[in-house]
Amino acid sequence: MHYMILIYEDESVYGDKNDTPEMQAIVAKHWDLVSDLGDQYKTGAGLAMTSAATTVRTVDGKQTIHDGPFAETREQLGGYYVIEADHLDDAIAIARRVPVRFDGSIEVRPLLHPPGK
Amino acid sequence: MIEAVLRADGGRITAALAARFRDLDLAEDALAEACARAVSAWTDAPPANPAGWLYRVATRVALDSLRRNAVRQATALPDPEPEPTVEDLMTAAPLIPDERLRLIFVCCHPAIHPEARAALTLRLVCGLSAQEIARAFLIAEPALLQRLTRAKRKIADAGVPFEVPSPDHWGERLDAVLSTLEVAYAHAHADGAGTGRHAGYAEEMLGITAALAAMLPTEAEVQALAATVRFAEARRPARIDGGGMMVPLADQDPMLWNAPLIADGRRYLAGVLTRPLRTRGIQALIHAEWCARASLADPAPWPAILTLYEALLARRDDPVTRLNRAVVLAEVHGPAVALEEVDALSHAGLAGYLPYHALRADLLARLGLAEAACQAYDAALALAPADAERRWLDRGRSKCMD
Repeated sequence: MHYMILIYEDESVYGDKNDTPEMQAIVAKHWDLVSDLGDQYKTGAGLAMTSAATTVRTVDGKQTIHDGPFAETREQLGGYYVIEADHLDDAIAIARRVPVRFDGSIEVRPLLHPPGK
Repeated sequence: MIEAVLRADGGRITAALAARFRDLDLAEDALAEACARAVSAWTDAPPANPAGWLYRVATRVALDSLRRNAVRQATALPDPEPEPTVEDLMTAAPLIPDERLRLIFVCCHPAIHPEARAALTLRLVCGLSAQEIARAFLIAEPALLQRLTRAKRKIADAGVPFEVPSPDHWGERLDAVLSTLEVAYAHAHADGAGTGRHAGYAEEMLGITAALAAMLPTEAEVQALAATVRFAEARRPARIDGGGMMVPLADQDPMLWNAPLIADGRRYLAGVLTRPLRTRGIQALIHAEWCARASLADPAPWPAILTLYEALLARRDDPVTRLNRAVVLAEVHGPAVALEEVDALSHAGLAGYLPYHALRADLLARLGLAEAACQAYDAALALAPADAERRWLDRGRSKCMD
């Protein structure tokens, strides 16, 4: 099965830019995990700060454009992996290894179809 | 006949089907269909091995259903099962593989909502009906069915494996299993009278803890839970008096306790004492201490129980443990010391926790603070206690009105 692993952290712990030393340090840890995962890793990316986010909202068929992420939350989506795993326990074991700077939540969700199909 | 077979072997059959097909709904539906066929097939003469018959037929039903789906979706067909002869069905004793341990770990997976775990385990592993579980959990049947459906869908969609977890995650996962069984047993135990609908349910808890203890003989906490359930069940005949009122543990006549069940509990306890003690082990020892009392003429074992609660508190300090210890403190060091401890507790959940108000009421009454005691009794009674407990609280309240 394919799972998306979504990483939620308080983005402010990485400073206010995308290339702070804290950010570089965590990115290096992510690359270590990617190389450890080998073929199980399908794709993934880090996301720019939510200050760069724009939301297109549809209400009653009408679309409006908003500055910012879809919801203001204490922890923000900051990146994701798509991995291949035999089952949920396998995916959870990988999620446990995803680095976070301090506190954070890693959500594990199955993809409906393998990527590319 | 079919009901009796399901009671005894339903969990084992469901577990074997689920492990083979990795699909809980399919396993349940196939067994239900096999039972429906048994109604007409068994009228003349029931098979020599009814459980084996049900397993065999349910397996065929499941394969047929998979084959139909495969044809519809034009995917690979599962291997056909050889058509059994009538003789096969009536006499053969196919060994039903015991996959209950795997199924328990699936039902109690931490990815499943905690409230659904106990219900799912009772439904699939113990074979209780949704109606029975809904009654025990005091929720409406449609709500329970929805909870079960949601949990099964999560298991299927999220890819919860039909495996016993690897040893490195064993601790956390086994703890989820044991907590689930504790929740399930608490529902059975809450009904002191234990008549009618709960009688069979408590039986199931004896059965499943025995099965788990047999499958995991070296896990002390598993042995401890099996012991605790036996000690607690053994006291059931003494928990209600002739007038339907609850009898507190220290006032129960040990002559009424079920001696064979206590002996059974002690056997499980032996498996606890050879290993380092953890929380469930200490709880089992507390029960064992009570069950060692031979008659009301013997002094209640309060000092020994207090020592055990101190040990428990050192490993698990939470308001419920402190509250239980306060009951013992009142007997050993007096109600004033106990009340001080109880009033020092602060936890939002306590306001809605009946034993908290019941204990405060009792301690206040013993200290002669009648007015405050009455208020505490009222708070307890407002939380809709079970009948036997309500009678007990009513009596306490009317005493302090005098």
